Amino acid sequence: MDTFPATLLAIAITAPILVGLILLAGRDLPRSFASGFAFGGFAIPAVLGPWLLVLWSSPSSSAQQFQSEGFWGFGFALNGLSAPLLAMTSLVGLAAGIKALTQEVESRNTYLGLILFMLGGTLGVFGTNHLVGFYFFHEFALIPTFILTLFWGGEGRRPAAMQMAIYLTAGAMASLAGILIAVDAAGVEYGAATFENVIQGLQNAPHIPAATGALVLFGLGTLASLFPFHSWAAPGYSAAPTPVSMLHAGALKKFGLYGIIVLGLSSLDITGGSLGTWFLWFALANVLLVGLICLAQRDLKQLLSWSSVAHMGPIFLGIWVCGVSGKADGLAAAIFLMVAHGLSCAALFLLANAVRARAGTYRLDELGGLATRTPILAALFIAATMASIGLPGFGNFWGEVGVFLALRAQPLWLQALVASTVVISAVYALRAVASTFFGPASEALEKRFASAPFGDLGWAERFATFVLLGASMTIGFVPSLVTKSFSTEVSKTTTFSQHNAKAPVKAAPAPPAKR
Amino acid sequence: MIPFLADIDPVFKVLAPRPADWLSILPEIAVAGLSLLCLLQAMFLPKALRFLIPNTARIGLVLVAFMALNDGPWTTVDEATSFAGLLRQNLPIAGVRMVFLLSALLTSFLAERFLQERDAAVADYHHVLLVVTAAFMLLVQSNHFVTFFLALETGAVGLYVLVGYLRRSEASLEAGVKYLVAGGLSSALLLMGIVLVYGALGSAGVADSLNFTQIGKALTAQSIAHTISPLTLTGIALILGGVAFKLGAFPFHAWIPDVYQGAPTPTTAFLGTASKAAGAFTLVLLATGPFAPIAVKLAPLFAVGAVLTLLVGNLGALATTEVKRTLALSGVSHAGFILAAVTAALVVPGATGFDYNAEQIVVIYLLAYVIGTFLTAITLVSLPAAEDHRRPQLALRGLLRRSPILASALGFGISSLAGIPPSIGFVAKLLVLALLVKAKLWWVLGAALIGVAISIHYYFSILREAVVRPTDADEELAPLDIPFGTRFLIGALTATSIIGGLFVLFGR
Repeated sequence: MDTFPATLLAIAITAPILVGLILLAGRDLPRSFASGFAFGGFAIPAVLGPWLLVLWSSPSSSAQQFQSEGFWGFGFALNGLSAPLLAMTSLVGLAAGIKALTQEVESRNTYLGLILFMLGGTLGVFGTNHLVGFYFFHEFALIPTFILTLFWGGEGRRPAAMQMAIYLTAGAMASLAGILIAVDAAGVEYGAATFENVIQGLQNAPHIPAATGALVLFGLGTLASLFPFHSWAAPGYSAAPTPVSMLHAGALKKFGLYGIIVLGLSSLDITGGSLGTWFLWFALANVLLVGLICLAQRDLKQLLSWSSVAHMGPIFLGIWVCGVSGKADGLAAAIFLMVAHGLSCAALFLLANAVRARAGTYRLDELGGLATRTPILAALFIAATMASIGLPGFGNFWGEVGVFLALRAQPLWLQALVASTVVISAVYALRAVASTFFGPASEALEKRFASAPFGDLGWAERFATFVLLGASMTIGFVPSLVTKSFSTEVSKTTTFSQHNAKAPVKAAPAPPAKR
Repeated sequence: MIPFLADIDPVFKVLAPRPADWLSILPEIAVAGLSLLCLLQAMFLPKALRFLIPNTARIGLVLVAFMALNDGPWTTVDEATSFAGLLRQNLPIAGVRMVFLLSALLTSFLAERFLQERDAAVADYHHVLLVVTAAFMLLVQSNHFVTFFLALETGAVGLYVLVGYLRRSEASLEAGVKYLVAGGLSSALLLMGIVLVYGALGSAGVADSLNFTQIGKALTAQSIAHTISPLTLTGIALILGGVAFKLGAFPFHAWIPDVYQGAPTPTTAFLGTASKAAGAFTLVLLATGPFAPIAVKLAPLFAVGAVLTLLVGNLGALATTEVKRTLALSGVSHAGFILAAVTAALVVPGATGFDYNAEQIVVIYLLAYVIGTFLTAITLVSLPAAEDHRRPQLALRGLLRRSPILASALGFGISSLAGIPPSIGFVAKLLVLALLVKAKLWWVLGAALIGVAISIHYYFSILREAVVRPTDADEELAPLDIPFGTRFLIGALTATSIIGGLFVLFGR
């Protein structure tokens, strides 16, 4: 096996953690040195992650690639599904890092170090092949998130951080129980509990305890803000400092979805029986109820936070429809949307913070007319909004359209309900754009501009936004960049879910068509 | 005298200790010798050289730890008995000794400055501390109820002293009296149980019905013949109750909050780790040793005990904002985790999680608990407080700004106790959960998971006060100066926590 990509993967995951350690230990390191060092920590994975995705060759038999013999048994490895997620995480990490470097904060080195820890943990989640490592890295990112929110967070950080910690741990505990039971039912020794072994074991398991699927679905669903376990998410993202919101809502949250797909969908029959019915209704609630909550928001960051919960709905529906129909297209669209949503959601958080830095507020009724003062910020924000609501040209389009197409065999009422979300999300997103950038500026804003004139978006933030939106446009125009890696995996997963549904139909990998 | 007696009486020939017997408990003898050395130094050293006393104790403890970790006559791979069957080495003995030695060593670090600040004698404290340590190290090797009770009581009496050590502090004295009364009750229970078992089995024809091996054999025979008398079962229940008191398991946990809160913080840390470890190991020893034949009868008792201990400890800890009290009650929930592991061993003998058996998992759990507890205790002791027993969460406010290193010690300690990666506390909890899945103890598993979820609230509340950015009103909070020794200790414990955890998980 070629060890070169494996080394790259190991470097991509360990580099941010090591740099973070040095920054935490060297709290008094000079500013310029620390900045350069931290930038390295953010940039290394951002180069290696996409590179690994480009290096990906369509595997014929084994889906695991770039497997390293392991760092204390963690067994870093990518599969077709995690490769694009890792690449997305690394880009979000770079943008979040650039944002963090431009911020003026107390104890800057500690701040940067903790964000690097969070990035390293998130990369580790997608870069490990071992179920324990998978869980380990996610929890590893929890403490930095908690501390970052409490010390550097904004309004409401005390209750938000506690709520987030409790929900995330409770969800993680339920999923850990599910994982342990699944590993035991698969007859695999815990030490050898790689995804492949466990999934294979579960295929042939004589008996899987009934609650396993529910534990995995709702445990990991909590982490991915599945209704009704979603209420931690919006306050948590809102109160966190912007780089943390970007990383958490954009990348870390995908841990739950990734786990549901890899473990739940492939071998635990989460879409069958009454569990499947619950899953459908909860996913629909994510789309509809949370969409309505978004409509009621009057605060830009709250709105983005809630909308990032609402956008999980189509992803859940894509997973659900794949399990029900046994066809790969729903899952392929869901994975595509996971990648695209990470990019667009991070871009929106980044730009919203730029709005706040200029206008001094996130309140929509106190904003307005910014387009004339900051045209570039306005243009980029509109572009990011377009991406987020799934207009063609951006990655989200393939994801959302793919999910709707996958639902075409479902009852008409379901299709109608889901389609209505396009309208809802367009309404709240465009209204936010309108009241932030157009119309007359509020009096307070005018005064603020008169006393301290603010300029347009700085170069660093422009670059960070270009990275995110550029990546989204790239996969929007060349979707095969992403689909080539997961198409094999997806068809395999689908076969597994059919196996569980006892309806073996030959699955055709049907990723979104190349444009 | 002994050779002479041995000549005339063949019984003495059998019982007289052989040199190999003494060698098998060399670490324990060394610790006892160290404790006497503390007293001797206090008698003969001039005042200027008194600082040597705790240092001698620490160096001695480290040397003993090295000795215990290395192979020698004091370690055994297979089960072995010494002193004519009074002692037995069968647990993962090196790990067990390490829990007590580490706990004593860390307590000594905490105690020196703490006692000097309060004008209390350092040498006497170390003397008693080391006696208790040696007693507990012997306790977990006992194979006979006489050695068992003697070792347990030696440890308990020493702990009464350590709890009430601050003679000018009402809280400390009150805690000492409470502990004495509650401890006396538990000793009485234990003794009553021992006597019942002795009488019931003795009248059934067992030659030495205090010897664990013979009790085990007798119970095996009786359980096959269905002739176990109710008296024996009552006795066993009382004995387990007495041990559960040491462990702090429900319903014998009521003394814990008051005593832990009132005791001097170094003693609290020692009580919470070494004394709890003694209870835990004793429980493993009894449940997998003499009482193993009736495991089927014991398992439901243990399972219910584990579930209730987990819930009572965690829910109790929710209700208080005094940090020491919270940690005391959270210690009860940790006892529940240990009970859960023991239950799994009773239900499925030889069950393993990640290739570790239940005994090894209990050792790992306790080592993790020692590290987490002491990292937290270091933070508490380093913070100035008017009264040691009053340490509200609010006193931690702004710690991240006042002293980042203390805040990180607290963060690591708390996340280790709460079981968050990458600490060894996570690994320990993971092993117990894996063991529960293997044993298919779903109710206990559920209680453990709910417990962890509840515990996040009180653990993170403590952490929150330390971390949350202070508002301007709190600006008068002065930075804390942390001595190099404390910094080093924090670094060493944190590194041990991470590396040890990874080693346990992946190092084999």
